[in-house]
Amino acid sequence: MIPDKYLLLPLAIAVPFITGLVLVAGGRRLPEGVARVLAWLGFVVPAAVGIYAWMTYTLPTADNLRGLQLTSNFSTGLDYFGISLRLGLNGLSLPMFVLAGIVGLAAGSYAINSTVDRKNAYLGLVLFMVSGVCGVFASMDLFYFYFFHEFALIPTFILIGWWGGPGGRAAALEMTIYLTLGAMLSLIGLIALYSASDINSFSLQDLQNMANTPTMGAKTQHHIFGLLMFGFGILVSLWPFHTWAPAGYAAAPTPAAMLHAGVLKKFGLYGLLQIAIPLLPLGLEYWSHTLAWLALGNVVIIGAVTIAQRDLKVMLGYSSVMHMGYIFLGLVCVSALGAGGAALLMFAHGLSVAALFLLGDAIFKRTGTYDMGAMGGLCQKAPVLSGFFVAATLAGIGLPGFANFWGEFSVFLALWEYRPLMMVLAATGVVISAIYGLRAVSRIFFGSPTPAFQTLFDGPIADIRAHERWPAMLLLGTLLLVGFWPSSLTRGIDAALPGAYRPSPTSATPPTATVKPAAPVQP
Amino acid sequence: MDLINILTVILLLPLGSAAIIALFLRRQGKAAAALSVLVGFAIMGLSLYVLESWDGVTLHPTWEWLRFGNFAYSMGFYFDHQAALMLLVVSFVAGWIQLFSVGYMDEDEAQGRFFGGLSIFMFSILGIVLADNLVMLFVFWELVGFSSYMLIAHYYKTDFANMASKKAFIVNRVGDLGFIIGIAWCYHYYGTLDLAELAAKVAAGHALLGSKAAIGIGLLLMCGFVGKSAQFPLQVWLTDAMAGPTPVSALIHAATMVAAGIYFMARVFFLLPTFTQEWIMWSGAIMTAFAGLCALGQTDIKKSLAYSTLSHLGYMATALGLGFPGLAMFHMAMHACFKATLFLGAGSVIHACHHEQDIYKMGGLLKKMPLTGLSFAVASASIAAVPFLSGSYSKDTIITEAFLRGMNEGPQFYVIYGLILFAALCTALYMGRLFFVTFLGQPRSEHAAHAHESSWYMTVPLLVLGFLSVSAGWVVYNWDWAAGKMDWLLPMDTVSVFLDDFRKIEEAAQKEGVAHGLELVAVIVAIAGFAFTYFFYGRAKEGDPLLAKAPGFFHVLERHGWFDDLYDWYVAKVQQRLCDVMAFFDQLFIRFFCVQGSGAVAGLTGAALRRTQVGSLHAYVYWFLAGVVLFCAFATGFFN
Repeated sequence: MIPDKYLLLPLAIAVPFITGLVLVAGGRRLPEGVARVLAWLGFVVPAAVGIYAWMTYTLPTADNLRGLQLTSNFSTGLDYFGISLRLGLNGLSLPMFVLAGIVGLAAGSYAINSTVDRKNAYLGLVLFMVSGVCGVFASMDLFYFYFFHEFALIPTFILIGWWGGPGGRAAALEMTIYLTLGAMLSLIGLIALYSASDINSFSLQDLQNMANTPTMGAKTQHHIFGLLMFGFGILVSLWPFHTWAPAGYAAAPTPAAMLHAGVLKKFGLYGLLQIAIPLLPLGLEYWSHTLAWLALGNVVIIGAVTIAQRDLKVMLGYSSVMHMGYIFLGLVCVSALGAGGAALLMFAHGLSVAALFLLGDAIFKRTGTYDMGAMGGLCQKAPVLSGFFVAATLAGIGLPGFANFWGEFSVFLALWEYRPLMMVLAATGVVISAIYGLRAVSRIFFGSPTPAFQTLFDGPIADIRAHERWPAMLLLGTLLLVGFWPSSLTRGIDAALPGAYRPSPTSATPPTATVKPAAPVQP
Repeated sequence: MDLINILTVILLLPLGSAAIIALFLRRQGKAAAALSVLVGFAIMGLSLYVLESWDGVTLHPTWEWLRFGNFAYSMGFYFDHQAALMLLVVSFVAGWIQLFSVGYMDEDEAQGRFFGGLSIFMFSILGIVLADNLVMLFVFWELVGFSSYMLIAHYYKTDFANMASKKAFIVNRVGDLGFIIGIAWCYHYYGTLDLAELAAKVAAGHALLGSKAAIGIGLLLMCGFVGKSAQFPLQVWLTDAMAGPTPVSALIHAATMVAAGIYFMARVFFLLPTFTQEWIMWSGAIMTAFAGLCALGQTDIKKSLAYSTLSHLGYMATALGLGFPGLAMFHMAMHACFKATLFLGAGSVIHACHHEQDIYKMGGLLKKMPLTGLSFAVASASIAAVPFLSGSYSKDTIITEAFLRGMNEGPQFYVIYGLILFAALCTALYMGRLFFVTFLGQPRSEHAAHAHESSWYMTVPLLVLGFLSVSAGWVVYNWDWAAGKMDWLLPMDTVSVFLDDFRKIEEAAQKEGVAHGLELVAVIVAIAGFAFTYFFYGRAKEGDPLLAKAPGFFHVLERHGWFDDLYDWYVAKVQQRLCDVMAFFDQLFIRFFCVQGSGAVAGLTGAALRRTQVGSLHAYVYWFLAGVVLFCAFATGFFN
C-alpha cells in the first residue's frame, strides 16, 4: 500500500477543477501552448486514476472486492449535519468513475483539437464538467454526490447556451429548467431520506448499513421513493420526461453532449442503483410497476420515434433515451442479474453513446449537415470513419463482442423473472435499434451520394483524422476490452451489489448449473 | 497437445487473423488474402488432426465468463459426434472457398476488408459449431449475422448491396428476437442453458415435452433457425444476400451459415415437441416446392442458385420435421459440397464474363471453361440426385421417408411426399436450365465470347469440391468399407450420426418393398427434368422461353410471389407511418403541449401575478381590505 494513495481521488477531482479555473480566469491572455498543456493535464489525470483503480481492483489479489478502495474523508465544516467529503470507490462506482475518466479524456482531447471561439473558456468549462462527473461517482456522501452533479450541470448549460448550434439558447433554457426541476425533486428526496433515517449522516455506507435494520415505515418509503424516482427519472430522461434530451443534445457542442449523455446522465441511474432501491425496498415495491411501464415507454415508444428521425444528432439523442429504458428495467427487477446488467450497461452505453456523438460530429464536418437525407456514399471517401461508425452503432445495438451485449442480455434474462410480458416487449428493442442503426449507416455511408451532397462529395473529403481517431479508438477499444473480458468489471459489480439485490428471484429456483467448477483458463 | 487446447486454437486463429488484418493489413490486400487463406488451411489441418486423434469421447470443457449473483455465463465446448462432423464440413469447405476467393477477388480494391470479414465469419461459425450452451450459441449467432452483413455490403456503392445488407441483418434480428425470448424462457423453465444438462433434464423427464412452456420454448428457439436458415416467413433476405461477392454466397449463404440453423436445431432437437416439428416440416416442405419453382423465374445465375438453396434448406427442414436430425445434417453436408461447387462455378463464370450475371448473356462456355463446366455439370447432377452421386443419398432418403410415413401414418404425409418430389423435379429443371443456357449453345454476348478458364486458385477448389459432390455420399455410405480403413479420419460412431437415420429408413423401405420403386421414380423425375430442359431451354437464342410462352407465370416466379412487395409495403406504409405518428405525438403532445404548455402556464401565472403589482397605493389598499375580510371570515368560522 502506498501511504498517500488516499490523495488519488481528490487529485482526480481537483486537477481538472484547478486547470479549468486557470483556463477560464486566464482567458485569452493565456498563451495557447500553456493552455493546451494545462488542459491535457486536467483530462489525463482522472483517466489515469480511473485506469489505475480499475487495474488494482480487478487483479485476482484484490481480496476484499466488497470494500471501498482509495478512501479519504475531508471535513468541510458541515459535520454538524453529518456531511463531509467522503471519497472512495466500490465495485459499483468504479465502472462509473472509469467511465468518467475515459469519456472525459476522449471528450477533452477532442475539445483541445477543435476550433471554437473563446477556446480557453470552452476548455475550462469542459474541465469543470470532468471534475464534476469524477466527483459524482467518487462521492460516498449523498450531499457531495448531489453537489458534484450540480457542479457539472452548470457548465453543461453554459456550454450549450454559448457554443451550442442554432437554437442553442432555447435548448439550454429548456434543458436548464427541466433538469433543475428534476434535480430539485431528487434533492428533496435525498434530504427527506436523510431526515427520515434518523442517523444524522449523509454517508452512503452508514445509510446502507441502516438499511439492514429497516426503520422507515412503508408510507415514508413510498413518498421518498416517489420523489427520487421522478427526480432521477427526469434527469435520466425517463419517458415521458425525456423531451429535453434530444433537443438538448442536438444543440450541444460535441464534448458537452459526450460527457452529459455518456456520463453525467447516469447520475440518476446510479442514484437508483446505489441509494433509492437498496435503502427503500418498500418504496420500490410500491412504484416498480409504474417505473417498469414508463421504462418500456422508453424502449418501445421512443424506439419508434427514433426510427422516424432524419436528423443524425437528434436520432442519437433519442437512441440514448431509448437505451435508458433497458437500464431502468434492469434495476426494477431487483435481482443481482438485473442490477448487475444495468450497472454494466450504464458503463457500456456511456462509452458507445460518446463515441457516436464524436463520430456524428466528424460526419457533420465532412457533409456540412446532420440531415441523413442529404448524405450518402460517404464510405467511398472515408472508409475508416465509416468503419468506426458502424462499430459504434453495432455496439449500441448490442452486438456481442462489445460490452453492451452482456448488459442488455442480462437485463433480458432478469426481466423474464420479473414479468415475461415485459421482457417480450422490451426485447423488441433488439429489432428496433437494428432498424434505426443500420438505416443510419446505410443512408450516411452506403449507396451513392444524394444530389444535395454531390457538390461537396466531389470536393476533397478527408478520412478520419488523428484527433478524431484516437478518442474513438479509446472509447471503442474499452468497449471491446470489456466485451471480451467482462469479468474485469463484473467481479467488482457483483461483489459490491447491495444486499437488497441478493435475495433475487433467481435464487428461488433451483441453483443454476451452467457453472462448472473447473475454470482452468481466464482470458 | 491437448485436444481442448487445439480446439481453442482453431477457434481463436481466425479472430487473430481478423484483428491483424483490421489493424495492419487494411491496404495490403494480397497480404490479407495470404494470411486468411493460410489460417483457413491451418484450421482445416488442425481440424483433421483433431478428428484423427479424437477417441470419440465427448469433450465438454467450460469456463465461467462472468457472474451476477447466482447466474453465471459460461463459455465452453461441447465436442460430440455432431460437432465433429460439422467442424469437418465447415473447415474443409471454408478452406477451399477462401483459396477460391484469392482468384475471384484479385482485382478488388478492398481485399483487406473482404478477407478480414471472412476471418470474422470463420471465428463466428466455429463458435457456433463448438458452443456448449445457448448463450454462447447466441453470441456467435449474432456474430455470424454481423459478418454476413459486412460481407453482403462489400459492394456498398451499389444500392442493391446497400439495401440487401440492411435487410439481411434486420430480418435475422427478427428471428433472433424470438431466439432471445426463447433463451430467457428456457432458463426459467429448465433452470439451465447448458446443452448437456438440458438434454439430461429432458431425458430424465424433468419437463413434459407436451407442456405449453415446452411448446413455446421450442417454437421460440425455432425462430432463430427460421431467421438464419431463411425459412418461411423470413426467407426474403437470402436471395437479396446474393449482392455480396460470389465466394461469400458460396460459403455463408449456401454451405455453412444458413446450414448452421439446421445444425442448431439438430443440437437442441430434444427440446422440440411434436408440434414444433410438424411446423418445421410443413413450412419446410412448402418452401422446398415453392422456392424450387421460383428458381425457374430468375435470369440471374446467382439468384437462381439462391432459390435452389432455399429449396434445399426446405429439404433439411423437412427431414428435421420428420424426426431425423441426423438425416438433415447428412443432407446439409452433401449440400455444402455440391452447392459450394455450383456457386464457385457460377463465380468462375461471372469472373470470366466480367461480372455479368445474366445467364441469357452467357452461353457456350463449356468449350472455353472446361474445368468449370465439368464441375458445374457433376454438381448439377449431384443436386438433382442422380444415383450414386452425393445428393442422391441424402435427398432420396428424405423423399423415401415421407412416402413411408404416408403409408404408415396417414395421407397428410403423401402431401409432403408430393411437395418434395415436385421440388426434386424442379431441381432437375432449374439446374438443367442453368447448365444448358450457360454452358451450351452459342455465346450471347461479347464478354461470353471472350471468356477463358479461370486461374488455378479458382479451378483447384472447384475440382476438389466437385469431386466431393460426386463421391462424398458414396464414401459415407460405405464408411465401413474394407473393415474400418477409414477410421483414421472419423470413427464409425461419428459417421453414424449421418448413417443411423439413413440405414433405418433404408431398411424400413426394403421391408415395405418400396425401396426400388421409389428410387426408380426419383431417377425418372431427374432424367425427365433434364431431358425437358434440354429441349425447352437448350435451344433458346435470347430471352427465357418460359417468359415468351407464359409471361404472367414467369413474373410471379420472378417476383417470388410478391413476398418482397408485401414486406416493402409493410415497411413503407405501416412501420414508417406508425413511427412518424409516434414522433409527431412525441413532439406535439409531450414536448409542445405538456412540457412547454406547463412552462407557458407557469409563465402566464407569473404574468398575471405581476399585473397585481401595479405600484398604486389604491390597489394595495383594496388588496389589504380583501385580505382583512378573508381573515375575519376565517376567524369567525365562516368557512366551517
